[in-house]
Amino acid sequence: MGYSGARGGLEAILAAEDLVRRARDHAAAPWAPTEQITARFRLAVDRVMGEAGLHHEDTSAAALRQAEGDPLEASHLVRAHRSRLPRLAVSEPVDPDEMVVLRRIVPAFREPDGPQLLGRTTDYTGRLLEQPSGPPAPAPKPDTEVRERTEEQRRPGRFLDLLRKLDLVVDHRRVDDPEPVDITRTPARPPAERSAALASMARAETGALVALWYRSILGPDGDIHEVTLGEVRHGRLPLRVRHPHTGNPVCVGRFRVTEAEAIEDLDGADEDRSRFDVGYGLCFGHNERKAIAMANLDVANRRFGRTGPLEQLLLLTTDGLDSGGFLEHLKLPHYVTFRSMVERKQAMRAAAEAAEGPRVAEPAGQECR
Amino acid sequence: MTSTLDALAATAEDTLTLGILDEGAKREIRRATLTAVCVPGYQVPFGSREMPVARGWGSGGLQITLAVIGADDTVKVIDQGDDAGVNATNLRRMIASTTGCADTADTREATIVQTRHRVPEEHLADGQVLVLQVPVPEPLRGVQKSVVECARMHAEGDYSAMWVSLYEDLVRNGMITRTTGYPVLVDGRYVLATTPIPRWDVPRLHDSEHLSLFGAGREKRIYAIPPHTDVRPLTFDDVPFEVEYTPGAACVLCGHDDVFLVAAGTSGAYACSDTEWCARVREADADLTAHRDRAPLHLLPDPATRLTGTTTTTPRPQRARPAPTPGQDWALRVDGLGKVFGAGGADAVPGTGPESGSAISPTTGAIVAAWDVSFDVAPGEALGVIGESGSGKSTALACVIGDEQATAGTVRLAALDEGRTDLLTLPPEARRRLRIDSMAVVHQNPAAGLDLRVSAGGNIAERLTAAGWRSYHGIRERAAELLDRVEVPLSRMDDPVRTFSGGMRQRVQIAKALATEPPVLLLDEPTTGLDASVAAGVLDLLRGLLSERDIAAVVVSHDFAVIEALTDRTLVMQLGRVVERGLTDQLFHDPHHPYTQRLVAAARR
Repeated sequence: MGYSGARGGLEAILAAEDLVRRARDHAAAPWAPTEQITARFRLAVDRVMGEAGLHHEDTSAAALRQAEGDPLEASHLVRAHRSRLPRLAVSEPVDPDEMVVLRRIVPAFREPDGPQLLGRTTDYTGRLLEQPSGPPAPAPKPDTEVRERTEEQRRPGRFLDLLRKLDLVVDHRRVDDPEPVDITRTPARPPAERSAALASMARAETGALVALWYRSILGPDGDIHEVTLGEVRHGRLPLRVRHPHTGNPVCVGRFRVTEAEAIEDLDGADEDRSRFDVGYGLCFGHNERKAIAMANLDVANRRFGRTGPLEQLLLLTTDGLDSGGFLEHLKLPHYVTFRSMVERKQAMRAAAEAAEGPRVAEPAGQECR
Repeated sequence: MTSTLDALAATAEDTLTLGILDEGAKREIRRATLTAVCVPGYQVPFGSREMPVARGWGSGGLQITLAVIGADDTVKVIDQGDDAGVNATNLRRMIASTTGCADTADTREATIVQTRHRVPEEHLADGQVLVLQVPVPEPLRGVQKSVVECARMHAEGDYSAMWVSLYEDLVRNGMITRTTGYPVLVDGRYVLATTPIPRWDVPRLHDSEHLSLFGAGREKRIYAIPPHTDVRPLTFDDVPFEVEYTPGAACVLCGHDDVFLVAAGTSGAYACSDTEWCARVREADADLTAHRDRAPLHLLPDPATRLTGTTTTTPRPQRARPAPTPGQDWALRVDGLGKVFGAGGADAVPGTGPESGSAISPTTGAIVAAWDVSFDVAPGEALGVIGESGSGKSTALACVIGDEQATAGTVRLAALDEGRTDLLTLPPEARRRLRIDSMAVVHQNPAAGLDLRVSAGGNIAERLTAAGWRSYHGIRERAAELLDRVEVPLSRMDDPVRTFSGGMRQRVQIAKALATEPPVLLLDEPTTGLDASVAAGVLDLLRGLLSERDIAAVVVSHDFAVIEALTDRTLVMQLGRVVERGLTDQLFHDPHHPYTQRLVAAARR
């Protein structure tokens, strides 16, 4: 006898769940309410909203708390939660020009239409670790008087419109208005519409997308050539759905997005080298890293997606749940498949020992193909 | 007053049962599953939802089970054949608690068996559904990494890359070393990944009474094997498919050896992977005779018959050469062929050509690479096309081959529809198929016609398996015969072509082109890039091969010496146009066109 195997059964599972609950929910520290998480861990909440593809701060915060702060695990919780719910409506198309900006930077121009609005950012804050011993003193009153923003400050002109006015942009606008691909219903596989690639990037794991962006610059098959950021903005957009009875569009709320437009210098033989190409990025919440990577990769995908591996990489390798899940599944039992592999190794060796094989296996161990 | 959101929620109230999957999703998955049943082995894309288990932890199988299950069903869940493993336990409690169905370990009671990595030892009967969790649904991924190319291969039934990988496996290892997830051909059409069950279980999918559904959640694919479907493991006719076997091993618990065994402990003992079956055997609640009849004991490895025992060569698939049509003596006929790169099409042609001294259209700026090229070639005849670089000869050839889309003209093969069909009107897949056995190409660069990572024999096997050859020994005999003819030492037959010299690679490419005895052979600068002495050897070989075959050849070259050595008639091309044509001998000795005179002078130098 002596065979027990790695069999845990229900008891072990329940015990493991109990361990997690005890340590997490009953830790000797004050409970973290949802509003605490949305207020103090805003960027983590936003990142989960983007990677989960669901804009709801409280849901995202609850998921982060349950996932002990792991953004990928939190995204999984939110997406699995979404799978339980029916789809009630599809929103009306969103016009990003309606965005009320909270922050807006145009690096490529000193004085664009509208303001350069730094907003809430630590871009120019020294990265010095603060280790306060307790809560800060009550906030002092702002030195400057808060003025009502003008309409131009709230909704500044778009840098791309300026470039278009200067006739410096290759025009990719289509006269037809195709329905965008819904990647949650139709799996995005190459060759895919641009909308499918954009949607895949909007839901991609931030780190994966940034890594692919960086690979496209430094990697052996780099597809991004000149990186100039046209514009990045963070702001609020209205969400409208059609009323089920009247059929009229009704604004049911607002959602925050980060939007980026990246400029690519065209240099290909078949390209209009007298103009620039502009790529587009947009994702839920405040996540500039992701939106900028997305905008650069959008152009790279249009230029080189089909001639190299980029389109397949974008569509099939950047989803955090896909890659993370596949990696994690290696922890599941694999002793049946492993047994089958061992059997072939032993059979190969037995055949070689009997010297009946027509040929000794190649010492170089090249992959069979 | 109700808000818009409340009003919207009210429209869906009847479907608001908070399970794991909403009802709309279940309907969608059932639809995809029905499609999969209708097209056995075809991977149906579906809007895979995120599950409370991670991608890779059975999210595809779980979605299928939740979509097809009802409260009256009884579900059994196994992982590695075991009902009590953590993963199986977890999925079972999830399914049972959210659907209200009964659960069981007894395979006989289950209406739905969700499994990872095994098919139960017990017989699955009519009405039972086996749901398999699939991590990697694409059987071709091992031989092709591009998903676009994999899709094309499935669409065209082009599985020769898979056959080559099996051939190479046999050459290198003396046996097929694929382990689990063995590829099978379903209903004679689609190659499917039996993912990843052991080979032991593969025969249970053939002509089964039960329905098998495969769910790949991460890759968003569902496929199916309906009851009584033909399922054949891919192997050569004379190389038996082998299941797992460990001599002398038997289950330490039930004592049987006609089951799939896994290691038990670390002392070299074995036990049944199917724990429920093993327990019933010990309780004398199992039909051992019926099980033994079902067990794939006839597929146990037998070193005696693996490779050496079976020398019976299955007859080679013979191409039926069409009888020559009376009054038609050509094998290949090209009329008015033209290719314009850039805008304008035929409108770009005026103002180009030798008289204008340019191939660039003065009106549109397009390049008229070739225009009004016509010729025919008879069986047993070789036609030369000569010209300098940029004269359009290679472009014209590329249009005939199908690598370029011609702008104008017709191309016809006597072997296709007695020459009535214009190749240029055929879709790309039909043109690719013609290149298997109707029209072979020898490229200037051997890497364009060969896979350098594959052995010389394997490269020839690629063409032969595409043409339907399924005998390993037959393929090896034919490859040896061809390599011998092109003077590649047989001791090199099993070496990867990348280890070959340039001349030797070109010989392998020629052998591959001739493998299916195509009626038409197209050679694009076959000796360019080789050392002079090596080129002379290849030229000698080609001359011999062409003279002993009833093949129609077109030889494209910039070198009059090559054209003179190989061809009977010749076209001379300059700036996209044919400027002179005639018997090769006459052209060589008495060229009329000044351009031809220049080419001849260059060859004599």
